[in-house]
Amino acid sequence: MSAAVMPAAAPTERVESSSGEAEIAYVSYGGEQHLPLVMSLVDAELSEPYSIFTYRYFVYLWPQLTFLIHRKAFDAKEGKCVGTVVCKMGEHRGAFRGYIAMLVVLKAYRGRGIATELVTRSIRVMMESGCEEVTLEAEVTNKGALALYGRLGFIRAKRLYRYYLNGVDAFRLKLLFPRLDLGLPPMMMGDERDDQLIDSPYL
Amino acid sequence: MEASSSSAGPAPPPPNIPPSGDRTVWADASQLVAAACADLQDGELVHGENFSLFAAMSALEIMDPKMDSGIERSGYYSIEEAIEDGIAPVPLSLDRTLDIQRTLDVIDHLFSCEATWHKGHTLAQTVFTCIYLMKMERISSHAVLNSFCRILRATCNAVVAVVSTARTHEEEDLFTMSFGLPLKDEGDDKCLSVLNSVEETVSRQLRACKSHALSKRKTLEGLESLQDNPDVEEGYCRALLCRLRFRKHFHHVVTCLRRPHGRGLDLARKHVASCLSELSLMLKSQEFLKSQSNITLQQGDESCTTASGCRPFGFDVSLNSRLMSAAPPRAVKILTWSDALGYFEKLLRDLDVICSLSLDPVLENVLHFIAQFQKSVPDLVPRAFLQTLLVQDGKLYGRDLFCDVISRALSLPDIIGDKEFQMNEFVVQLGQLVINLLKILCTNTAWQRRKLGKSLQDWSTISIQLELALKREFGETRNVLDHENMCMRVSKQLLVWTQEQTYWVASRFLILGFELDLYSPSEYCMVYWYMHVVFIKLIEKMQLRILASNENGSARRKGKKKKDHSKDSARDAAFSSSCLLLQCYVLLSEGLSMLLAVLRNEGKSFLLPTIFNTEQERFLQHFDLLQKARIPEHITYYSFKESAAQAHMADVMKYNFFKEIQKIIPSLKGSFASEPEKLAELRQIEQVAEHNRIALNIINSVGVGDPSLRVSFEFTHHPHFAVAVVKRS
Repeated sequence: MSAAVMPAAAPTERVESSSGEAEIAYVSYGGEQHLPLVMSLVDAELSEPYSIFTYRYFVYLWPQLTFLIHRKAFDAKEGKCVGTVVCKMGEHRGAFRGYIAMLVVLKAYRGRGIATELVTRSIRVMMESGCEEVTLEAEVTNKGALALYGRLGFIRAKRLYRYYLNGVDAFRLKLLFPRLDLGLPPMMMGDERDDQLIDSPYL
Repeated sequence: MEASSSSAGPAPPPPNIPPSGDRTVWADASQLVAAACADLQDGELVHGENFSLFAAMSALEIMDPKMDSGIERSGYYSIEEAIEDGIAPVPLSLDRTLDIQRTLDVIDHLFSCEATWHKGHTLAQTVFTCIYLMKMERISSHAVLNSFCRILRATCNAVVAVVSTARTHEEEDLFTMSFGLPLKDEGDDKCLSVLNSVEETVSRQLRACKSHALSKRKTLEGLESLQDNPDVEEGYCRALLCRLRFRKHFHHVVTCLRRPHGRGLDLARKHVASCLSELSLMLKSQEFLKSQSNITLQQGDESCTTASGCRPFGFDVSLNSRLMSAAPPRAVKILTWSDALGYFEKLLRDLDVICSLSLDPVLENVLHFIAQFQKSVPDLVPRAFLQTLLVQDGKLYGRDLFCDVISRALSLPDIIGDKEFQMNEFVVQLGQLVINLLKILCTNTAWQRRKLGKSLQDWSTISIQLELALKREFGETRNVLDHENMCMRVSKQLLVWTQEQTYWVASRFLILGFELDLYSPSEYCMVYWYMHVVFIKLIEKMQLRILASNENGSARRKGKKKKDHSKDSARDAAFSSSCLLLQCYVLLSEGLSMLLAVLRNEGKSFLLPTIFNTEQERFLQHFDLLQKARIPEHITYYSFKESAAQAHMADVMKYNFFKEIQKIIPSLKGSFASEPEKLAELRQIEQVAEHNRIALNIINSVGVGDPSLRVSFEFTHHPHFAVAVVKRS
């Protein structure tokens, strides 16, 4: 089976930035024309090398989870891509799980909530698609990313020793979506608690 | 493909391909293939439905410097070519002074390479970037370099063997990959005698230098001198001698530590001390070597891999890079010579701690020893040495059967060696769990925490099975009668001991989360809450075990002398101080969790409302493995939520947990007077308690709801227990 080209019917949503000096547009992955944009951003900003097959693996199988952010200045040339998020989802050890593979926002555009918005969009799609949880890895030194995911409810589930080629450790971050049937209602727990032999003013 | 499509008419199939049959017929597909090829753009791939991420990630793009390890860098295609180009001359110079100078640079750079290898890189990209080491036959006439390289190679080989045997380096597997490098040679078992004879010659020369200096005569006996300039001969002799001696003693350290049953520990310790003193002589020699070196050849201070500061001859970093071509290149920065000195000093201090191991068969002490050892964050090599020492041939120190270790832990010396006990399926399983536990505890903390978390399920399963078996065999009698049979008593004690181990593993799992920075401040409240629950259960199980062993003791004591009584009471005192120390942890965890709960309830801080989930999901994720293993039973998110919701400032002040700790500490200091590391721990706990007590008072007097109040938590006094820092804005 050869790699087919995706239909280029990408919804674009334009958002007026608060300062109004430039227009920011969030774009769903729309096909082959977006691939070089994603690749050049990730290659330039992330430490790990990815082959073109890795990019294609993600964007062809889950185009709905890949978003780009365009900046459209009034005077300058059009279509500068300043950020992107690339994801996947699927079965993992009996759970349907989303995975955020790459997230990049150019330095000059950070601190404006762009990355949060990109990730939030992907996570929403994952949630609506029936994912039970979302995971990703981040360098332990990447304070910005860790804070961003922390605000979204991710926990640091594991530390992965020298995970990256550059020798830096990673955190495996996880976001668990709420489940309706989770745990017992609080009323029942009250009774069981009395059976405990723990002598503590706090319990 | 192009060639075959140009041939006219269908060609007959090659002889080894079966002929066309009734249902199959051969057809020329060349044109189809050619058309398909033309259709594929650069970077496109023909793939199936099951094209996996692993397959995609395994692809490497040739000529991409980020991915292609084999990309041409130096221009040398082989060692031979590099040698022909003269980058590794033998001798290193025809000028004898320059020759010894350069030899010392090679020795120093190899030292830096060795440290870099230990720190997690491949041998191929570190030690074996040395052309002299790759082609040892070339230096057989160069006595100094030959003896040095030979012992270095033998030591590397021995260290690889230890780390491979330990097999606890799953995430550090680069270490043992030798890619078919010349790591072994027939003559290497004689490396010590080769080195000894060179060392003997140099030290004789050094003595000669000294006596000449005294008699003001400045001539050198040609044959034995290192070089021709009498003014610097002594300096070179000293510089070389400490390097050779370091290698000799380090080789001895490795050999002694590998002896079975820990028999070489005392001797290893002496060699560790010798290594350390040679290291300090090496550092001393730096001044002399710097003064002798050609300044223009010196490297920048931040990248000096030699004492002299000169770039060494005979190394090529890219020679082995093609060996690694199956994976993207990893950045290798060789440690500086002074960092390498620092590494070896730390390594030797860690090995010295291992040498101090008393080969104590009491499991509790062994676990405490490893936990204490891990506090200094030892690297892979010392951790592997410790592990191979602890578990040999499935026995503790290669000496004690683990079933005997367990019976000793149950305070049942009568059943040591008892065949029925040894064969019991629970005891066999528990023995295996203890072996695994010891091995896991020797791994790096990141890997260790994951493995501990997974092992909780195994511990818990055995507990449940033991409990069921106990009920099945002996019913639900609660009262322990004097005449109860041995079998029941052993089973009960085994159960309590298993539960105690389970909670110990759980507590270590939780506290390692702090060391690995896995918790965020908004989660501290629930983490300390869970810790205090686990610590309480751990004390409870420990006390039950002591109670049971006392009963055994009183049964045994009847026929004993007075002397044994005092021995028993000393043991009881040790147990009670262990419980009291745990009690401090309970109070610290409880106090911190409750303080955080109050700050949440009344100060509206340390809460983290998020759009996708709630605190309940974060609780479930952090404690999933504990919850699944029912550690402890009946504990859920709601138990935490309810406790936390009821926390008020008035209660925190009333129960003043931090003050309680301060009451316990003085008596503990007495009990631990002879254990310096426990005293250090007590001091840390005392600090945390004192700072938090004061912080609590300030928060209370300012008012927890005061909008100007800023509270943060820092780990300035203890790695697991935070100190509240109060500020007003």
